[in-house]
Amino acid sequence: MTNNLARFALLAVPAFLLGQTSVPQKSEPSDKDTRPYDKHDFNGIWARNPSAQFHQPPCPECRDNSRPSYGFFGDIPPLTAEGKKRFDANRPTKGYVAGSKEALAHMDIDVGYRRAVQSALSNDPEERCEPLGLMRLVTFSGGNPPMQIVQTNEIIIQRFEWFWDNREIWTDGRSLPKVEDYLPRFNGYSVGKWEGDTLVVTTVGLDDRQWVDAYGYPVSDKAVLEERYSRPTRNRLRLEMTLTDPVNYTRPWHSTTKVWGYIPKEAASVAGWSGIVEDRCVPADNNYFRSFEPAAPTAKKDK
Amino acid sequence: MPNHLAKSVLLLAGLLLVSGSLWAHHGQGLSFDTNHMWTTWGTIEEFSYINPHPAVKFSRTDKDGNVEHWGAEVSNNPSRLARVGWTKSRCLAALMPGTRVKLYVGTSLAGGRIGIVELMESEKGELLCSEREAPIKAIDLDGVPGGYQPKPEDQKPE
Repeated sequence: MTNNLARFALLAVPAFLLGQTSVPQKSEPSDKDTRPYDKHDFNGIWARNPSAQFHQPPCPECRDNSRPSYGFFGDIPPLTAEGKKRFDANRPTKGYVAGSKEALAHMDIDVGYRRAVQSALSNDPEERCEPLGLMRLVTFSGGNPPMQIVQTNEIIIQRFEWFWDNREIWTDGRSLPKVEDYLPRFNGYSVGKWEGDTLVVTTVGLDDRQWVDAYGYPVSDKAVLEERYSRPTRNRLRLEMTLTDPVNYTRPWHSTTKVWGYIPKEAASVAGWSGIVEDRCVPADNNYFRSFEPAAPTAKKDK
Repeated sequence: MPNHLAKSVLLLAGLLLVSGSLWAHHGQGLSFDTNHMWTTWGTIEEFSYINPHPAVKFSRTDKDGNVEHWGAEVSNNPSRLARVGWTKSRCLAALMPGTRVKLYVGTSLAGGRIGIVELMESEKGELLCSEREAPIKAIDLDGVPGGYQPKPEDQKPE
């Protein structure tokens, strides 16, 4: 056991440091708005690219500082044997195409970001309108579909434009449920409490059919996700996540920092109706749409 | 030619049977030959303003007078289109069946008459139902039978 622990430490520490050095974690806020605001008020619409479509001042630190984009990122831990099995079974469409020049030119990044396959060969749940799951809802907003936060004294609701999904964070002082007593949920069970100006959200009970992000990293129903939200300036919302999932990973996984820019309601408006847009994945539409998708190139060769 | 037709029919049948088929919301470069974009004039047969991307059916006539029927996904997402003013009603009005448009197409990597339409342009030169403000680089293959059909080397990852 001690041996295992020592081996774990020997593997994990350099991997953690490598992760920390390869992906920048922090940057200076670009928001120069000095108007007063409440650091405990997250209400409003937030987007990862506030200048695109919403015409707000640019926010360079809002973008994922890496390619590919839209991921959990950070210091990816070594997988357990079970985690490796599940990781290998997941076939994402995002990232560098497996075997491509780009993939070969980025052998320094984790294999998860350089194993993309064509849609017809993928089993990404997103592509079939299956629920994205909590972390993908949060990380996909890197693509710029905004999220809206509705906050009361006892609950915070996050609404996500892409997939038109929502998650609840209870701040009424309740305890987390015993996972084994509840059905797992795609967005889990979350409670939040304030530590100074940081809202610390703990989530359990995640449905293990979801992926951590678009790159097919697995997550189990034994996982615990900690999210730390803060509003460092008036127009910025900041998040750091830590996923602890002993079924799939040999140590906790710290994400890169995610930053959103505030979008005034009026700036998120379509035909005079302000707010986030229903960007729901409708299976009937998807079935029609995917009839325009090609089969895999290899399938053509099988005559 | 009959051989080509048979191949197209088989391909289409295969497409409809592929249970794991997916939309290319973020993997379009993996499904379509976007390295060889080409243009053609065509006639809208049907335009659907749907998620996750609109879809379009159009016909084009080759230089020998043969009519080809194509199906394609459109690269922009409805929520993004709506935010730049291309709402559902405006797109449907601009792309009514029978409308003649110039299409910027990337053929399916598997070949055939399926592709992705990056852009559509009216006869007056207006870009229709698109976030883009300027045309993209593409070769003119108006009237060329089959448009651009990917070669085996196009199917290899770059």
